[in-house]
Amino acid sequence: MAGSGKSDTARLGIKMSQELVVGAISAVLFLVFSATLNNFLSQGNILAILKNVSILGTLAVGMGLIVVGRGIDLTMVAVMVVGVAFSIWISTWGVDFTLAVVFGAILVAAIGLFTGVMVAVAEIPPIFATLAIASSVYGSGRIVFASDVLYAPSDIGWLKFVGNGTILGIPMSVIIFAAVAALMGFFLRKTRFGRLVYATGDNPNAARTTGLPTRPIIVTQYVISALIAYIAGIIMLGLVTGIDTRLYNSSLIYDVLLVVVLGGIGLSGGQGGVRNVIVGTILVGILTNGMTILNFSYTSQNLIKSVILLGALAIDAIINPRDEQTSQSGDI
Amino acid sequence: MKLFKNCLLAGMTALALLGAAKITTAQETDQVGRSTYLEALKGKKVIFVPISQGMDLNQAWVVVWQRHAARYGFSLEVRDPSGDTNAGIRAMQGAIAEKPDLIIVQNPDVQTYARLLKQAQAAGIKVLQVNMQSATQTDSYVGNDWIEMGRLEMGELAKHCTGPNAVSHKVVWLAGVQTGAANIYMRTGIDEVLKANPELQLVSDQPADYMSEKARQITETVLQQHPDLCGIMGIWDNAEVGAGAAVVAAGKQDQVTIVTNGAGSATGCESIKNGLLDVIFNFNAPIQAEIAAQQISELLQQSGRQAGSEKTIFFGPITRVDKANATGRNCWKLDELK
Repeated sequence: MAGSGKSDTARLGIKMSQELVVGAISAVLFLVFSATLNNFLSQGNILAILKNVSILGTLAVGMGLIVVGRGIDLTMVAVMVVGVAFSIWISTWGVDFTLAVVFGAILVAAIGLFTGVMVAVAEIPPIFATLAIASSVYGSGRIVFASDVLYAPSDIGWLKFVGNGTILGIPMSVIIFAAVAALMGFFLRKTRFGRLVYATGDNPNAARTTGLPTRPIIVTQYVISALIAYIAGIIMLGLVTGIDTRLYNSSLIYDVLLVVVLGGIGLSGGQGGVRNVIVGTILVGILTNGMTILNFSYTSQNLIKSVILLGALAIDAIINPRDEQTSQSGDI
Repeated sequence: MKLFKNCLLAGMTALALLGAAKITTAQETDQVGRSTYLEALKGKKVIFVPISQGMDLNQAWVVVWQRHAARYGFSLEVRDPSGDTNAGIRAMQGAIAEKPDLIIVQNPDVQTYARLLKQAQAAGIKVLQVNMQSATQTDSYVGNDWIEMGRLEMGELAKHCTGPNAVSHKVVWLAGVQTGAANIYMRTGIDEVLKANPELQLVSDQPADYMSEKARQITETVLQQHPDLCGIMGIWDNAEVGAGAAVVAAGKQDQVTIVTNGAGSATGCESIKNGLLDVIFNFNAPIQAEIAAQQISELLQQSGRQAGSEKTIFFGPITRVDKANATGRNCWKLDELK
């Protein structure tokens, strides 16, 4: 009895370890910054931290879904910028902007569908399929839209509300992020589809042999992640009134992946959930905010960020060493 | 009979006049030197390696240069690396290998193309740098006086943020890319103004990477820390709209002055009208392009001159644009330039 109880605790420990490590680092940073920086602990600054990670976090929720299903979606940033730019572009022909946003969503869903089919049916490894598709999506956008930066019409009420509105003092961007995360959490944990995603991610071959519809599941995941990327793009459009397609060339997609992996969703699939994404997002948010307040240079910010991320991964590797199961199921 | 004689006379006079007119047409004088000019430019090959053609200033330049090329019969090819530095290096290597008569280059930073530009000059290719300089000086540079730009922008903030009526002496410098030429030189100008106005307090100096969302995030964080912030200066109007959005979201648009620079496109004027920006130091990309077009002509005409043997610099105009003059030529649209 005592023995089995102990092993249960140990298993629980292993399951949660990386999330706990990252959570602990966030807590320590939070305490240090609160103690040393003026106004860090103010309500305004806490909301600013959340607002500043809302886009990253929303993207990471979508990426989390894909990684749980043992995939990777490098198209997210390309889909985000091109989808939103597309809706602005058609609105310049005189189409009502709200309708244009709906058309943008349809385009984005179609791209997600195509990516899903390439991965699930054509069976191209997701890292290559999405890398190639990301580049084609961005490239097509670059040809169609003359400028890198496209501005939304300035008189759209709901878009202003997304950018500057609040509900009970909480900015809309944060509420949208929370809603997407909550919905995804419910989806993954409580619905049959969610359980099928875990089954497919844990062992795709076994899932297919058991008769699960793995292909439709994978296709659906990519459609959902594309739509989530689009939502993140709309948040950005609300916040800064325009979309800059050059974001595709930035390190944003790797930051998204980092948040997911850092939070503890293994690239081997089948593990983790929305909570991990939130933990990873919050660590990045606290770190960036503190370093901006401290006015660290760009280079030292990157250095400190990577050292802390590397530290988190190293601690995880010590607590949770590679074992037979990891090596069998594979890792990226 | 008299009538017949008169008619004949009139007819002959008319014929004579017509003939004389014909002779004058044949002898129409050529504008002095024009044929030499045409011959020097005709069939020449010019390659332009930009940072990205998606930027408003680049589009204005190329529209002007294409018109110049079409009018005087040289070819202009644009090799767009679309913001990717590695693709830019390949584009430069490719351009050098093709041995064109002139390479026009907009440097992503001062180092990346420095050696390639030396190679190009050694290979006898003339090089014109536009707006963003390299550590290597070549035949010509046409673009901004960036030190002056830094001085102007921080000087504008000094006007608002010093003296007894200023809300505070706190200012922010939202840089672009720290290794970019514009960034490095603007900093020199900024430091001069800061030295002359010791009460000015630079509370944040972070690069927004020419991205509006990054500018917004930095501004929002800084505003939490310094609620009495007086001014923000940046490097590109399309990025600083993000800073403007953060200031508007905090309801501080009357307190915080936002100064930046830009190519003078209509989107910048819109941002001023929407209250996102206060002042844009407009370097008028179409006029910059016209100056560069004359440089192209000069370099193509002097075929005997060795590449890199003489080095010249041309600084374009800078106009201060705010709500009062955000109209007309200060706000160009690409379609109107075509």
